[in-house]
Amino acid sequence: MKVRTDEFKARSAETTKNPRRQASLKLVYDGLHKGRIAAAEDTDDWEDQRDRARAIKWHTINNLDYYLDLLDKNVRANGGNVYFANDDAEARDYVLGVAKANNVKTVIKSKSMVSEEIGLNEAFEEAGINPVETDLGEYIIQLAKEAPYHLIAPAIHKTREEISDLIQEVAGGPRQEDPQDLTDTARALLRDEFRKAEMGVSGVNFAVAETGSIAIVTNEGNGRMVTSAPRVHVAIVGMEKLIPSMQDLSTMLRVLIRSATGQRISSYVTVVNGPRKAGEEDGPDEFHLVIVNNGRENLLKDAQLREAMLCLRCGACLNACPVYRKAGGHAYGWVYPGPIGAIVTPVMTGKKVGRDLPFASTLCGACKDACPVKIELPTLLLRLRSDLAEGKADPKEKSSPLLERVSIKAWRFGVQSPMRFALAGRLSSLMMAPLSRGGWVRWLPPPLSGWTKSREFPRIAGKPFRARFRKKQR
Amino acid sequence: MADKQDFLRMVRTSLGVSERRDIARDDATSFFLSKDEVSQAADDIRADAAERRTELIDEFIHRATEAGWNIHRVANFEDAAEEVTAVVREHGATAVMRSDHDILNSVPLESALKAEGVDLEIAVREPSDDADEDLERRLSLREKSFDSEVGITGVDFAVAETGTVAMEPRAGSSRLVSLTPEVHIGVMTPEAIIPSLDELFALTRDHHLSGEHKGMINLITGPSRTADIEANLIIGVHGPREVHLVIVG
Ligand code: SF4
Repeated sequence: MKVRTDEFKARSAETTKNPRRQASLKLVYDGLHKGRIAAAEDTDDWEDQRDRARAIKWHTINNLDYYLDLLDKNVRANGGNVYFANDDAEARDYVLGVAKANNVKTVIKSKSMVSEEIGLNEAFEEAGINPVETDLGEYIIQLAKEAPYHLIAPAIHKTREEISDLIQEVAGGPRQEDPQDLTDTARALLRDEFRKAEMGVSGVNFAVAETGSIAIVTNEGNGRMVTSAPRVHVAIVGMEKLIPSMQDLSTMLRVLIRSATGQRISSYVTVVNGPRKAGEEDGPDEFHLVIVNNGRENLLKDAQLREAMLCLRCGACLNACPVYRKAGGHAYGWVYPGPIGAIVTPVMTGKKVGRDLPFASTLCGACKDACPVKIELPTLLLRLRSDLAEGKADPKEKSSPLLERVSIKAWRFGVQSPMRFALAGRLSSLMMAPLSRGGWVRWLPPPLSGWTKSREFPRIAGKPFRARFRKKQR
Repeated sequence: MADKQDFLRMVRTSLGVSERRDIARDDATSFFLSKDEVSQAADDIRADAAERRTELIDEFIHRATEAGWNIHRVANFEDAAEEVTAVVREHGATAVMRSDHDILNSVPLESALKAEGVDLEIAVREPSDDADEDLERRLSLREKSFDSEVGITGVDFAVAETGTVAMEPRAGSSRLVSLTPEVHIGVMTPEAIIPSLDELFALTRDHHLSGEHKGMINLITGPSRTADIEANLIIGVHGPREVHLVIVG
């Protein structure tokens, strides 16, 4: 997929002024963000589950070569095929090759962010093969010829009127605006595709090395269709999505699903152990697993940025992020929006094109609190900023204005010790006092005025949280 | 084409590690439990679940109801057949399919449905040694599954923590019968109930390590749903809109 990260400022400004998009972004907060918080509160050992999930992922990433080797062996032992793709072109060519070898005319797809990354649908179309997205949200954006707006709610920005236009264009008939009617029509349209498709392409939530299995989480049931109805199933996975053992799935599913939608579990979790075994009544005869690098090695190489490889793509950091909720998903210009997108996009695609992204954050820390595997998102963003500011990222790039370099240095100095951090907080709070009303600051002097032009700034608490917390504990 | 060894070398170089090294045991993952430990744990799980049955039934029913299952508790297989027939009748369904799961062979469904004028189709094909012929038969079964209005299956595991049922498709147990019809009815006994996802995956892992695994494990929790249009919850997208569990005993 084309990288358009250099348009962050223009595209986010557009979204900020669009009341319909702002209303959609509120749904992200009210639905997904609050749902996650309720689910976390409802889980007694939530923190333990998160810590364990994080430890499982760290262990896997630190031994990724070992587990990739094991996964490969076990998928083959189950009768499946494995292909290692270094970049998008290799991945596309392999999947197209499988489709051609099987005389495929229609491919049904369940959600796969990696397939967006490698531009698979365009490649199918060029080859005269019809790719059909079957997740309702993905189907809507495929009709609209747009990129996903959110990791798990790809069409959340579309109003029912817009969806109505899109569906009517394919289905004909009377105009429908009720979400139930629209869903029924999409169900009927996609049924025909499920019946006839010769090949299914899916993403992967977890690839289990020890048993050569993949787990797919869906609510609609399209993931089950894609992996059960056609004769051929191709699963595409980013090389970070591994876990060692099938038993680790319980912890991983708990934290992923609660963080993504607030559910205890999704309607369906489909664990595929390769192709149909002899004697089974249905299921694919052929199973292929495509393991994709496509720039992930840039994350892996860097001891600090490697932490982004723990990501489960749950979307919680997007829902929590005040910048995402203003700028919208398309401003990030590639496949992955929000705080995690602001980190992985510049690094995976080469920092030059993602110049603006690490700055698309307020470093407020909400993303880290929301992250099921506790990724230090603010620290990683800051790290990328300082690389860029110091001109380290790309020798062709000029380094940033002096003010930016100095403030980043000051920020770093400020956060590195608890005492300095506390002192800075107290100072800021005092300085902001005359400017604030009801805890919100409507105007800040330059160079901070850029912030308050489009949003209010919360007044920094006079008494830091840590002090209040200590008091409460006593 | 990226060669596997080149790919692994790229990963090792990125990690800054050498090829010959032992990976350190880390107990966050269950990976380092031996095959024997896993199967011992599986036995313990079964024994423990048997002991806590009453409590587990209550928890399972609570969570399953919350997830959108319609629960029917019945005393015996005859009553189970009655409950299933009542659902079929309510929908005026004529195309009804069932899997060949063991438990369903104890439920007198054929006769109960015949009295309603419904021919119950069993979702199995006669396997053929000829690959093309076998494929033909499977495709025809697939067509029938798509045309069915009600699908009836057994249940291999039921998870109290989440109200989930799990099925391992195999000869006689189709993947599609619980998916393509608008109404799915699962029939189970309380013996299927285990406490949580931890036990579920310990048991399926044990199957795997003992070479008894199937092509797939399906976890199903309530009806199919979506929230993709302006975050409205809609029930019934690609899977069943209405789901029932008949618990016998
Ligand atoms: S960084 Fe964390 S919160 Fe964000 S998508 Fe990844 S796992 Fe979810």
